[in-house]
Amino acid sequence: MPVVTASTPPTYRLTEEQTLLRDAVRVIADDLVAPRAAEIDRTGEFPQDLRQLLAAQDILALPFPVEHGGLGGELLSLCLAIEQLSRACATTGLILAVQGLGALPLLMAGTTEQQARWIPRLASGEHLIAFALTEAEAGSDASAIRTRAVRDGDDYVITGAKRFISHGSVADLITVFAVTDPDAPRHARLSCFVVEVPTAGFAVTRLEHKMGLRGSPTAELAFDGVRVPAANLVGDEGDGFGIAMRTFDRSRPGIAAQAVGIAQGALEVASAYATERRQFGKRIGDLQMVAAMLADMDAATEAARQLLYKACVEIDAGSPDASRWSAMCKLVAGDAAMRVTTDAVQVLGGYGYIEEFPVERMMRDAKITQLYEGTQQIQRLVVARALLGRDD
Amino acid sequence: MGALWVVAEPGPDGGLARISTEAATLVRELGVASGREVVGIVVAADPAPAAADLASYLPLVLTIADPAATSQTWSAVAAGHVAALLASEAPDAVFVGAGADGRDLAGAVSALTGLGVLVNATAVTWTESGPAVEMSVFGGRLLTTSGFTGGRGIVTVRPNVTTASPAGTVGRVEARTADTTTPLPAVRVVDRVSEAGAAAPIEEARVIVAGGRGVGGAEGFGIVQQLADTLGGAVGATRAAVDSGWIAYSQQIGQTGKIVKPELYLALGISGAIQHKVGMRTSGAIVAVNRDADAPIAEFADLFVVGDLFEVGAALLERLRARSG
Amino acid sequence: MRIVVLIKPVPDPASAGERLGPDDRLDRAAVPAVVNGNDEYVLEAALKLVEAAGEGEITLLSMAPANAPETLRKALAMGAHRGVHVTDPALAGSCAASTARVLAAALHELEYDMVFAGIDSSDGVGGIVPAAIAAHLGLPYLSYAARIEPDMAGRTVRVRRISPTGYDLLEAPLPVVIGGTQALGEPRYPSLKGIMAARGKEIVTRSLADLGLDSAGIGGNAATTAVLGTQLPAARGATEIVRGSPDDGAARIVEFLAERRII
Repeated sequence: MPVVTASTPPTYRLTEEQTLLRDAVRVIADDLVAPRAAEIDRTGEFPQDLRQLLAAQDILALPFPVEHGGLGGELLSLCLAIEQLSRACATTGLILAVQGLGALPLLMAGTTEQQARWIPRLASGEHLIAFALTEAEAGSDASAIRTRAVRDGDDYVITGAKRFISHGSVADLITVFAVTDPDAPRHARLSCFVVEVPTAGFAVTRLEHKMGLRGSPTAELAFDGVRVPAANLVGDEGDGFGIAMRTFDRSRPGIAAQAVGIAQGALEVASAYATERRQFGKRIGDLQMVAAMLADMDAATEAARQLLYKACVEIDAGSPDASRWSAMCKLVAGDAAMRVTTDAVQVLGGYGYIEEFPVERMMRDAKITQLYEGTQQIQRLVVARALLGRDD
Repeated sequence: MGALWVVAEPGPDGGLARISTEAATLVRELGVASGREVVGIVVAADPAPAAADLASYLPLVLTIADPAATSQTWSAVAAGHVAALLASEAPDAVFVGAGADGRDLAGAVSALTGLGVLVNATAVTWTESGPAVEMSVFGGRLLTTSGFTGGRGIVTVRPNVTTASPAGTVGRVEARTADTTTPLPAVRVVDRVSEAGAAAPIEEARVIVAGGRGVGGAEGFGIVQQLADTLGGAVGATRAAVDSGWIAYSQQIGQTGKIVKPELYLALGISGAIQHKVGMRTSGAIVAVNRDADAPIAEFADLFVVGDLFEVGAALLERLRARSG
Repeated sequence: MRIVVLIKPVPDPASAGERLGPDDRLDRAAVPAVVNGNDEYVLEAALKLVEAAGEGEITLLSMAPANAPETLRKALAMGAHRGVHVTDPALAGSCAASTARVLAAALHELEYDMVFAGIDSSDGVGGIVPAAIAAHLGLPYLSYAARIEPDMAGRTVRVRRISPTGYDLLEAPLPVVIGGTQALGEPRYPSLKGIMAARGKEIVTRSLADLGLDSAGIGGNAATTAVLGTQLPAARGATEIVRGSPDDGAARIVEFLAERRII
């Protein structure tokens, strides 16, 4: 059963500060990000201009603590911003989400010295950070990772390859998970390192051509005897798996926020269309089958949103059920985004299928929210485990 | 019984402001209905021209000559005199227009005398407890009638609600001695600048053609101007257009702009949101052109054309020009 | 450079939900409050002046119900340094005259070179309170400002006052009260850093007793005006809607104008 802690805020409304923040990001998203969204999807280029914009507006500072130049790192504030950006452009929303994801191991397990070394330039947006866990043969099964990190004097030498790494080709820092003890029990084999790139032996060997999120570079990274100082080990040897799992507890809401944003953007396009498009002598929004679809889309989006906000508050309050909240909100939001965007295309009919309207892009973008940072099936495992406990 | 005063505001070229003729008409009619004397007050460096004009509306006009009234901001100068006169004459109500100078005066006199203020009067009747002032509030959604708890006070009169009509007989003009102590600090008028772009005041236009967000840019206002010219009217705009820099603030109509009441209000690309509606909803005829059939303006326009404002505008221009030959 | 900016929380005009309460006073709980539009414009003017001078402080002053600090937060997030919140149950239902007296009393406690106020507020639309405050304080009042240019060394300020034909250039010695308009320039949206920094800024609360004012002669009990009654305005006739080609629309407009003898 979920437990409410003493520091859980008693209110179900956003505070004035959170509302101001959400509205500030919304204005930026509407005025400066939205006009670029179609072009980003069409060209598949990483929008460096929007990355600079997010940095200049201090939006990239949201995931980080104030003492290192950040804006506080509150999960709900971060998710409000991701949601608003994703409403306009899912690729841009991901820039913020991945910045948070990549830095979480550092924030959770890094030493003061490590944080002071790297976080200020992440908060300022001067540096981007990526999260490299997944491999060709290790997707849902993170313990199947084979990239090795071998101690050699004051360094570790990393050898292996990572696949499907968001921002892998544009990041300055890469959080890499590698096996340091192949004989240890499954959950104690991995360690976590921060690799500063470019560096000898590191290469981007492939960029994926994807269904959606086309402006976000998804890279295959090769580590061919890459040396990192031992000072770049985050946490202790063997802590890697635990760090990764704890990272997901705080990063999955970011993907849920992206999903909610995508859904909201699609809902708005479909609703506007339904009030303008006339067939059979009336606007199509007044035809009951269309009205019902839109109503269900709105309800699904709102339900996903409220679950997300609640999850953020619970996780920040230190709930012992953080994994449950995190997995659940990502599960619901990802499915909502896929359903809402598919229905948005349906509402627009033939127009929904062509590039002139953004909903086909939103539908292609939505799919990834059911796949990355843990597939929906993995999320279900986490929820079921929280519900049923283990069979000891 | 106390009298009803109308404090006249200065118009261009030392004459009378148009709103003062409206206020004078309204108060004169109130005076007739309530059996009270109505007196006009003119404070100016040379009050004679404005007083002569006001005397065609009111039976008695008092003048105070003060050279400071042109070298300094008028309201600070006039407020001192009006407050002093109030102390000795004790009228039941003081009316002034709800334009810039009138409001400044009302605020200052209120502070000097302790009298309350009722603002933006659209109609006034007399009751045993003093004036009952009707006002339109909440963007035009509600009409309220209010009074002074002490039976006396200051009323600002909304422009473009009353039609000014001279009395038929000319009243008499009497000079009063200037009050030599001016309780309010002077604000010097260094210069009065006419700006070439400043069009005729839109509050006085018989026809207004207004553009909103749908116009899309400063160049888009070309069609608005052409239609205004052809119809012999003025160009208006919504706050969205002004804030976007497409047109000057002086042309803005609405809650934070001007309130207008032309015979024809032609709204192009204007949604008719409440803040704008306030400024023009009492226009004689409202015609709107908008691509969005569900724009709020469709609910209160007389004629609503669903279409692109540039296409309809061009067609309209052609037809109007063909008519006038 | 010290500027006090008067801030009034008003019912959000975009909500179209403002209404009177059962006591015929404005029901301030009916609709969420926002900072009065014109106040944001004068605050922006103050922020620009302080930024250009490279020094200065901006204090917000607000007479408002107890929950006002939430609304003041946006103004603090824009960059004001601190706030003074005058609040007292006795102030509910205050008339404009009373409001001016209370704000003048609060200003007596503060040090400033200029007081900025929005020329009117979207709820009352009276436009008289700033003038009344200036009169109470014995300060020059410069209204309908489209531009504000202080000369701190010379201790004067010049203001462009909107006129029907353009503007009047006014000048007065500091300190002054200035009523500002939208023409001053669009207010900035608070930056994220500003939003987060606002939580650390101080808002001081003052009651009537703190200001040395007696609630018997001020506030709702001593209101100089009162609502006697309300009614709904007369409805306009039904709207005629025309669809079709642009020329169809144009033709109907010309016909309509001719019917009404406008052309």
